[in-house]
Amino acid sequence: MSGVWSMPVALAVLSFIGLASAILGDGIWHWVCWAGLAVPLAVCALKLWAQWPGRA
Amino acid sequence: MTPASLRAWRWVHRWTSLVCSVNLLILCVTGLILVFHHEVEHLMGTEELDTSFTEGQAPLPLETLVATAHRQDPALEPKFVSFDPEERGARYIYLSPPGARDFEGGRWVVLNAYTGASQILKQPTETLTGFLLKLHVDLFAGFAGQMFVGVMGLLFVVSTVSGLVVYGPFMKKLAFGILRFGRNTRIANTDLHNLFGVATLVWAFVVGLTGAILSFSPLIVGYWQNTEMASLIARHAAEPRAGTVVGVDEVARAGTAAFPGMDLAFIAYPGNDYASDRHYSVVVRGHTELTQRILSVALVDAESGKVVETAETPWYITALLLSGPFHFGDYGGLPLQILWALFTIVTGVVTVTGFVVWLKRPRARAVAGMTARGTQGTRA
Repeated sequence: MSGVWSMPVALAVLSFIGLASAILGDGIWHWVCWAGLAVPLAVCALKLWAQWPGRA
Repeated sequence: MTPASLRAWRWVHRWTSLVCSVNLLILCVTGLILVFHHEVEHLMGTEELDTSFTEGQAPLPLETLVATAHRQDPALEPKFVSFDPEERGARYIYLSPPGARDFEGGRWVVLNAYTGASQILKQPTETLTGFLLKLHVDLFAGFAGQMFVGVMGLLFVVSTVSGLVVYGPFMKKLAFGILRFGRNTRIANTDLHNLFGVATLVWAFVVGLTGAILSFSPLIVGYWQNTEMASLIARHAAEPRAGTVVGVDEVARAGTAAFPGMDLAFIAYPGNDYASDRHYSVVVRGHTELTQRILSVALVDAESGKVVETAETPWYITALLLSGPFHFGDYGGLPLQILWALFTIVTGVVTVTGFVVWLKRPRARAVAGMTARGTQGTRA
């Protein structure tokens, strides 16, 4: 897989697992859901923070 | 991809996005608050359903509850009793004028299933969340508005898919997540649009698609009623009548007996859209987050109290019911609601940055400049 698609595909897979897991059960399934869906948002936040104008 | 097909995809992405962008922003702002509708209602004191009961206490017979509801409006007839898996102590009873098959012109009565105490349901438009929900669902334009929002939802789905297609060629020489804030407005907005858009694409696709499916729910349910429900009912239309009418509790017992281990979802009285003129429909669901969205139907003869036929609901009804949680984000506790809200904000940012990228398109400025000069030229 080329470099363009590796991150988007990884985030898509995590989102998908996250969305699906909480409907399947409680407890650990909820944690998988929260973790999976938190990653794409965390990536957005990190990229934004690291490249914010005036930083580094 | 050939340059021509890339151009076509960019055209699709531009126009599907632009057409739905204003509605999408309304959906984002209202949706952002509606994610927390329980919390907002609680804060504003509009959610005061007393559905408390002691464990082990037996609920009142349905007949008693229906009679209690009926006394509030004797001119209307009971047509529908609904059960809520999240509120085990609540019964929702729909009363409507004699002869009315649909859910227009009647009223819902909410009762505590254990005490029979009546709960006052405010008109949705009298509460903040009700107002926002109406704006979200149909822009205060009824059925037509709801269909409009559904079409906007489909355009949004096409916009996410086409956005993904044009992302690849654009990012060929760029690192993932690059944000060139130091460059001009267009480049800064493009980078933000690309990162936020691609990172939240699956969520946006799922929420957009389930939203569109929910918008079209009147059509989907109507199709089911006019095809499978209608033929189910037609198969028993000619059965001889016994002459007596059995009570709703007996009907509920007969219906649930046909599906061991399932919970009641709703019971439609004879004469309602979900039943026939001489049969009750007893509709049941499973227990889990997933199976409570898969319904089964027992058609119960109102005169003999016997189940005449059972049926599973078709796949598109299951798809419609499963669209609920995946649109509302209410199936994974408060952390999921917060994630849902954050995704909604990111989607709003993607919408706005995409719009700015379009506004700042280089060609348009050149064209506008030329037109301006041309006009001046004519005047001179």
